[in-house]
Amino acid sequence: MTQEEALKWFADLFGLPASSITPETTRDKILTWDSLGVLTLMASLDETFNIVTDDASMRAMQSVGDVLNLLRKHGKLT
Amino acid sequence: MRFILVDEILEMKPGHQVRAAKFISPDEDYFRDHFPGFPVVPGVLLTEMMAQTAGKCLDAENPARGKSMLARITSASFRDWVRPGQTAIIHGDIRTSRPQFATADCRIEIENRIICSAELFFSFVIMEKFSPGYRDEVLEHFLERQKSGAPATGITP
Repeated sequence: MTQEEALKWFADLFGLPASSITPETTRDKILTWDSLGVLTLMASLDETFNIVTDDASMRAMQSVGDVLNLLRKHGKLT
Repeated sequence: MRFILVDEILEMKPGHQVRAAKFISPDEDYFRDHFPGFPVVPGVLLTEMMAQTAGKCLDAENPARGKSMLARITSASFRDWVRPGQTAIIHGDIRTSRPQFATADCRIEIENRIICSAELFFSFVIMEKFSPGYRDEVLEHFLERQKSGAPATGITP
């Protein structure tokens, strides 16, 4: 998956236009990245990429770039 | 009004699959308004039936995780009306079940025809949040019946 595709996946997940986010976009700028958003992200990482995360690592994610780095770490991002 | 929208669990593999039934009584109060002369079960109640059914399958899998609560309706579609006097057969297939969340694909069939379907997302609330002694009577009844080997009682009006 390319970074552009990953940004689109993330944007769709949070109901945002893909053009509105970059790797630098922080969690506090995304209203839907709340407690339910965290669970939504966990579920999608699990179901889409087979990446099982824990609460601590999800709490540590503070930007879109952090999520992209996780995908990269698991070899899902080229 | 009680809010138990599952009469009986017909079969269940905890954490995986469940099939339950709900008889739609013509006496339901909401038919007075939804709609006069054309009574149909509201879509929100059909969705809740699916959520309660899949929720019981999750609760039976791991009670220590807490009670499953509907957190998001990812998608839902309604293909036909559900009318008074019909029996809804509610199916839940658990897609993902994790300590923090679960997802399920659900559907309701009437006379073997799919009436509606939904993708549902659940989170969990620890049991300490609920009243002491709170129990899921429908689930307990099923588990007791399963233990005794008795068959489902069948859905009767």
